[in-house]
Amino acid sequence: MPRIFSRRNFLITGAVLGGTAMVAAVGGIGTLATVDMDGPDPLLDGDRLVFNAFVAIHQDGSVVIQAPRTEMGQGIHTGLAMLVAEELDIPFDARIRVEHPVEQLAAYTNFSGPLRTRPEGAQGPVMWAAKRLLGLLPLNNTAGSRSIVGMWVPMRQAGAAARHMLVTAGAARLGVQVGDVTTSDGFVRHAASGRNIAYGDLVRDAAAVPPPSDPVLKPASAWRLIGRAQPRVDLPAKIRGEPVFGADVVLPDMLHAAIRQAPVFGASVARVVNEAETRAQPGIVDVAVIDGRSVAVVASSWWLAETAAWRLDIQWAATEAEVVTSAGLARALQSALDGDEPHLYLHEGDVEVPAGQVVTAAYTAPFVTHACMEPMNATVLIRGDGTAEAWCPTQSPMSMRWGVNRGAALADVDPTSVTCHVTMTGGAFGRRSDLDVVVQAAFLATRHRDRPVKLMWSRQEDIGRGIYRSHAAARMRAALGPDGLPVSYDALVAAQSMQQSASARLLPFGNGASPHGDRFTVEGLDKSYYAVPNRRLRSHHVPSHMPIGAWRSNGFSFGTFFAESFVDECAQAASQDPVAYRRRLLRDSPRHLAVLDRVAALAGWGTPLAPGRGRGVAIEEAYESVVAEVVEITVAADGEITVDRVFCVVDVGIVVNPDAVVAQMEGGIQFGVTTALMSSITLEAGAVMESNFHDFPMQRLANAPEIVVEIMPSNLPPGGAGEPGIVPVAAAIANAIHAATGRRLRSLPFATVETLGERRLRTVLPAVDMAARN
Amino acid sequence: MVSLNVNGAPVTVSAPDDKPLLWVLREDLGLLGAKYGCGIAQCGACRVLINGVSTPSCVTTLSTVAGASVVTVEGLPQADGTLSVLQQAWLDEQVPQCGFCQPGFLVAATALLDRVPQPTNAEIDEFIDNICRCGTYPRIRRAIHRAAAAQAQG
Ligand code: FES
Ligand code: FES
Repeated sequence: MPRIFSRRNFLITGAVLGGTAMVAAVGGIGTLATVDMDGPDPLLDGDRLVFNAFVAIHQDGSVVIQAPRTEMGQGIHTGLAMLVAEELDIPFDARIRVEHPVEQLAAYTNFSGPLRTRPEGAQGPVMWAAKRLLGLLPLNNTAGSRSIVGMWVPMRQAGAAARHMLVTAGAARLGVQVGDVTTSDGFVRHAASGRNIAYGDLVRDAAAVPPPSDPVLKPASAWRLIGRAQPRVDLPAKIRGEPVFGADVVLPDMLHAAIRQAPVFGASVARVVNEAETRAQPGIVDVAVIDGRSVAVVASSWWLAETAAWRLDIQWAATEAEVVTSAGLARALQSALDGDEPHLYLHEGDVEVPAGQVVTAAYTAPFVTHACMEPMNATVLIRGDGTAEAWCPTQSPMSMRWGVNRGAALADVDPTSVTCHVTMTGGAFGRRSDLDVVVQAAFLATRHRDRPVKLMWSRQEDIGRGIYRSHAAARMRAALGPDGLPVSYDALVAAQSMQQSASARLLPFGNGASPHGDRFTVEGLDKSYYAVPNRRLRSHHVPSHMPIGAWRSNGFSFGTFFAESFVDECAQAASQDPVAYRRRLLRDSPRHLAVLDRVAALAGWGTPLAPGRGRGVAIEEAYESVVAEVVEITVAADGEITVDRVFCVVDVGIVVNPDAVVAQMEGGIQFGVTTALMSSITLEAGAVMESNFHDFPMQRLANAPEIVVEIMPSNLPPGGAGEPGIVPVAAAIANAIHAATGRRLRSLPFATVETLGERRLRTVLPAVDMAARN
Repeated sequence: MVSLNVNGAPVTVSAPDDKPLLWVLREDLGLLGAKYGCGIAQCGACRVLINGVSTPSCVTTLSTVAGASVVTVEGLPQADGTLSVLQQAWLDEQVPQCGFCQPGFLVAATALLDRVPQPTNAEIDEFIDNICRCGTYPRIRRAIHRAAAAQAQG
């Protein structure tokens, strides 16, 4: 990957942040909220003009856009490029090249996630200081469905600033007023004289034009790209099978590494019994114990390394966690729920208010993992001169850089600089925010200076030694008023804190954030948009030895299942239709109500279904979007369950690329169906039992439902789209099972998987609900 | 030394007999299109055509493909680089998300259309058993039908 920005960005933003250095170039960092356009003049570099941190134009008219968010299948490179192209007035075609930037600039910071704000909304001295701090790290990650939310304004400003400079240069060249020229299709046009100048011909002149401090953005009425489906810029290469992934990185002199990590998290390596024998095999270059916790084999080929790793005879030191089982951890959740002093997350009104009928229910969800299609991998090169370079399918170049530093530090090496190349990722789903594989690869690279070391985990390591979404359990209680609607709603949830587990791994200092009051534990349980006067939400953190990390939609993946199943149970207790009941609860939330009404209409809610079939609905507000889904299922006499169709209506605010939003809903729904029906990570003797797709199965094409997605028109600022799709799925399926069979399933996953020969499976509801037995 | 034909060209590989074809392709022949997703014939990311049959290359050893004709995703376009009808349908339907599984699906679907030019949904379900974690299944189905229709016309 070429290093498009080097010297250039130093001049434009005043700070190139590499290695461990935090460059406090205070004067030059400028407005972190935007694109640093009030920095020094843009610069010509060979045949191109680098306008700002995001846009460069070559004299041949080709445009290079820096998209500082990881492309992991969500189409973000296309969406971000559309925003620039919209304001720049260039056609959305093959003359645009989109790159993930190599330099880590403050302008690429994702502060909208951690600060939970939008660039256009971020004001005041506290926000300014917080943004500056994040920019110094710089915190650049792709997470929380925040990419469009956070870059919606900066990317358009970058395009508008470049256009302003081209227009100014073009008008001067033509000897006319700026107001007399227009732009379209990559030309500055003077209609009165019929003269046009291509952007490429103006880059030299535009270099002399000062960037505008506050570029004017187009009104929505002038958009020609935003809101119109554009083809993904990354698909042609992917359809040709070109090597775009981290797993495809090939470098001269590269070594390959495979790894075996402790079966029980936290266990250390006591001895590698056959180390000498392994080293003696042809092609094996190294056997290394990493941080006392895993053993890697380095070889001339990954296949050789992995084969040797299979044969490693490793003795692991005993740990306390060896007695842990899934059943024991599940009991720990229940005793936490029984215990005193939960964290009070929210209390509005008084949930003890006396009311009529009381509804209670208890739910559970298991540990699950990501199983990204591309196994975890990283390639790291540490040179004799002390510099380091790394290639990784990561969601966070910041984590990646820290990972290299931390891995090198295990060998007492402190790279003088770390250059990070973010590759395309074969799925991510939160998993690639972590830096474990980078740490390991960097440590190995310290042992083989001047040779890139590419470490790739086997699928067994990915599923059995990975990072997980926490299990969870909840107890819900509602008291219904005379109209059947809840007067009070009380949710008590127990889970292991993701915030604490992940931040302890990812932050370079301390033991992580407080686990109490972790918002990721209570996501989906708040139900603030429902008109319930008295609400309480409490949580327990239940620690374990399992590493917990970000997982597509985090707490929503269980919290919405609990809450939206429970709403159906309340509707049932009140003898009301689930959609009609929610409509009444949404009386003060018109945005949500419109989404619900639309999905009900789309799905033909209320029309009769054959016996054994059922419909279920669920709704959620997540990532500043509102999504509702209706699921249609069939349960056969022998318990086989098929999810036949899913109708999805989503309000994501203003839509940039509608087809990408539809694809994210489709993908999220499939992800959700697999998870709801069949995903579970179990523990025996402290170790994860699942190891590959045969025992952590996925639905396949034959099991996949038909999906109908509709996007609500909206003028609200863009919300997130990567995660909302999965959120309502589990509850909608549970509600559909109830409609079809009268059975209320309160434990995920709902089904057991039966194989029907190779690579063929069906899902069957157990005869007895496990939760009912608890 | 094993000789075989890969994407129309004869090649000779010196690698251990038991080395899986997937790793021969990726490491010895520099063809990175076929992907490692599971190594146990579960996911199909490594599928290639062996004498026209869609086969998981992760469990196919080098010695068993001596003299065989192997086609990887890189070999699907026409000689001048134009996308195959199926690949074009894949682009038109905007199938891939992350794309990691897609070479295996493209190979599997190519084999399907060779055998059954106008497959029904049931035939697609029966034949296409790869895994896509991103959930592109509905678009895969549409793209196969689109390619079948285009081939019937063309
Ligand atoms: S890698 Fe061969 S089937 Fe998964
Ligand atoms: S497109 Fe990502 S796994 Fe299929």
